[in-house]
Amino acid sequence: MSNYIPTIGIEVHVELKTNSKIFSSSKNGYGMGANTLTNVIDLGYPGTLPTVNEEVINIAIKAATVLHCKIRKMMHFDRKNYFYPDNSKNYQITQSRTPIGYDGYIEIELNGTKKMIEIEEIHIEEDTCKSAHRKNITLLDFNRAGVPLIEIVTKPCIASAEEAKLYIEKLRETLLYANISDCKIEEGSMRCDANVSLRKEESDPYGTKVEIKNIGSISNVKLSIEKEIIRQQKLYENHETFQEQTRRFDSKLNDTVLMRIKETGNDYRYFPEPDIPYLYLTDEQIEEVQKTIPILPDERRKLYEERKMSKVNIEKLIAHPELSDFLNQYLETSIDFQIASNLLLGDISSYLNKENKLLKETKLTKEKFTEIVEKTSNRTLTSKNIKELLTDILEKDQTISELIKEKNISNITDDHILKEIIQQVLENNPESVKDYLDGHDRALKYLMGQIMKETKGSADPLLATTILKEELSLKK
Amino acid sequence: MSKYLDKSIIELNELLKTKKITPLDLVEEAFTKIEQEKELNAFITLNKEEALKEAKELENLEVDNLLFGIPIAIKDNILTKDLRTTCASHMLENFIPIYDATVIEKIKEKHMIIIGKTNMDEFAMGSSSRTSYFGAPHNPWNKEKISGGSSGGSAVAISARLLPLALGSDTGGSIRQPASYCGIVGMKPTYGRISRYGVVAFASSLDQVGPMTRNVYENALLLNSLVGRDEKDLTSSKKEPEDFTRKIGQDICKMKIAIPNYFMSDIVTEEIRDKIKEVIQLLEQKGAIVDYVDIAYLENAVTLYQIIAMGEASSNLARFDGIRYGHSKENPKDIDDVYYGSREEGFGEEVKRRIMVGSYILSGDNAKKYYDKALSIRSDIRTSFLKTFEEYDLIIGPTTTTTAYDLTEPTDPVKTFFDDVLVIPVNMAGLPGLNIPVAFSKEQMPIGLHIIGKPFDESTIYQLASFIEKELNLNLNPKGSDEDE
Repeated sequence: MSNYIPTIGIEVHVELKTNSKIFSSSKNGYGMGANTLTNVIDLGYPGTLPTVNEEVINIAIKAATVLHCKIRKMMHFDRKNYFYPDNSKNYQITQSRTPIGYDGYIEIELNGTKKMIEIEEIHIEEDTCKSAHRKNITLLDFNRAGVPLIEIVTKPCIASAEEAKLYIEKLRETLLYANISDCKIEEGSMRCDANVSLRKEESDPYGTKVEIKNIGSISNVKLSIEKEIIRQQKLYENHETFQEQTRRFDSKLNDTVLMRIKETGNDYRYFPEPDIPYLYLTDEQIEEVQKTIPILPDERRKLYEERKMSKVNIEKLIAHPELSDFLNQYLETSIDFQIASNLLLGDISSYLNKENKLLKETKLTKEKFTEIVEKTSNRTLTSKNIKELLTDILEKDQTISELIKEKNISNITDDHILKEIIQQVLENNPESVKDYLDGHDRALKYLMGQIMKETKGSADPLLATTILKEELSLKK
Repeated sequence: MSKYLDKSIIELNELLKTKKITPLDLVEEAFTKIEQEKELNAFITLNKEEALKEAKELENLEVDNLLFGIPIAIKDNILTKDLRTTCASHMLENFIPIYDATVIEKIKEKHMIIIGKTNMDEFAMGSSSRTSYFGAPHNPWNKEKISGGSSGGSAVAISARLLPLALGSDTGGSIRQPASYCGIVGMKPTYGRISRYGVVAFASSLDQVGPMTRNVYENALLLNSLVGRDEKDLTSSKKEPEDFTRKIGQDICKMKIAIPNYFMSDIVTEEIRDKIKEVIQLLEQKGAIVDYVDIAYLENAVTLYQIIAMGEASSNLARFDGIRYGHSKENPKDIDDVYYGSREEGFGEEVKRRIMVGSYILSGDNAKKYYDKALSIRSDIRTSFLKTFEEYDLIIGPTTTTTAYDLTEPTDPVKTFFDDVLVIPVNMAGLPGLNIPVAFSKEQMPIGLHIIGKPFDESTIYQLASFIEKELNLNLNPKGSDEDE
């Protein structure tokens, strides 16, 4: 593998989260009855004309911004002409000559080294309808026809399958965070195509290009590119030539499979869409949209690192935008982010998973969370207390203090009380005391267990350990 | 024979308001006349049952506007809900639309009564209406002659006095040229004046609906009811509706009028040029200032038109594929057979020719070589028109190079475009243009004057047109005087 250099470029289509379609007022939805979200425009009825959904333009501005693209202020749409049953007008309205965004990048980190993946362009277009093949007929569902898409095209600057995977992951995370798309690869709201070619030297022209279409998952992005590189390399080593072609990844065969040979010079007869006048974006509109962009993952990573959160927690939190957003309310406060993230990723996450709820659907307020983080930091509440209280905290309106009172939780943080209990435990367990003094550390654990049993778990473990050791040393 | 329909709209309105007649009288008379003049082949589909029903319903309503209860004919490329719309094509022979075009909604709002759908060139492609799948309409002035096209049926219906109002559409002269051949008033408004929503697209950047009527005032009146921004058509103008009749009757003294030399060159028959010169003399006598001018690129307009119109048409007509509506080949072998078979059977010769040429024009590098170039020269044409309008109020010339020719004259697909050489530049520049009959040839065929205005200045066109109409006072009824019946 070492003697060939792969060149990879990636095209990603994502469906935008809008209320209505891009060129008609039909609802943009998923999983509805076939052809229920359609109108005469989506069906390409004679005489119909497209209108432009402003929401789509705004989301595309957002996408261009988060991918560090330049934004084109004067643009138009183009028609891409081709006959296919999923294409109701037999042309697709897209942007060929004036993509809304261009010259952007995404930063990935590979083995500790940062690399820019350059983005050639982002353009806006309409989705096609969905076809389902049944024996010798094809069924068409136009619910998807006219759903807004943006296509994000990289330059051929990706050097390995691993880089490709990291790029897709980073892209997905960014688009999710900016609320551009739900990026569900399984539902088709994010679709990846990879162009792969090999050459011997950097100075050689690019090799014959193979497109892997519609890769079904992020892990398959890596796998399919790896397999395709191996396949092409073997061909070159055997001095076999091949034509430009489109392949797909078959996860059962664990390899790419030929779909079709590319015909020379695909002729889409592009021309400017005469039904839609030029669009002019103003600086105000662009700024207005940019104001709505939330803090992006990389910025969050930096902020959390500064607040001494563990790497594990940072990544887990980034993977849960809602929790991360919740925590960001405290960026201006001095709460302990490590403890706060532990609480969010631990007991609170388990509760949410179990109840299948979103955080915003619980009764957790900013104030209540501050209180539990603080009480955990100063050990007023133990993790056991939290477990006991959490359901009520998340389901009831009462304050934390009220709940503590109601649950009758009185933590033994008082040295004297704890000391008395510990002395009692030692008296009751002379064998273990002897074991400990003989050098068997195991005995310490047993004694701690007895203390917890005695206090019904309400003893602060750190404090209890300290006192226990003190008391034991007195017995030497 | 004619009882009411030869009367002016104002007279009819008075009769309706005073309940001396009902809309049903007008509708029944229209259908009687259409039946009598069946051989003119002006209509493809009649809306008889529905029109009679509507007329009866109107009896209970207040006569709230001048067009209330007036019969109107609609060119068959404008979608009418539940009323067959064929575009004069086998492809849409059985096509019943499920929605109304925006202009149809407006017509229904004013309670005009739709009598039927008029004959035309197939998908508006042609200049003599002879490409119609339903056979060509005949010119009421001489039934051996063409009506012109593509809005031939609408022009014939008005000329033969079958009814007072009609809609046409004009992509490269398709309202003005048949209006000239048939001796009626036809206006192509400024591009964007009237919504195109629900008008089957031929060339999107050129198509425009317009009124076709017996006289200037009624033309302006009908235009009043058609215009306005339509949120469903992004190319429709945001201009507020206005009263296009407001300048009618005003003096034309000191009006500055330009005549492009090209329009009076030997591409036009001597007979027509002489008649136009008589009009010019008249205008000068009445105090207008008339100058001959040069307008750059006029002679390129037809070529540019062919590129742009056919390029756009090849894409617009791609949706007729036999899958969702329209003609579909029976028992197709596979999807390609659905496409090739349905389109082979459904489209006529001229439509196929234009789709092929248009596809070629947009293919590969040709798009840049031809289409882009044409768009750029097109904007130069507009600029040179606008430059002329810096000094002149209106531009005039003959509407056509000849009068209507014989139906039997062979069709030359290239020569056909040159029937429209004088009207096409106006579409290329997106300007308003109107035909008004000003004379008759030795053969007693109508000759029309073409009046071109500044963008959105239709009202000044009407001012001049109505002045000429009044001065000339021609008898434009092919069967004799309107009042003679």
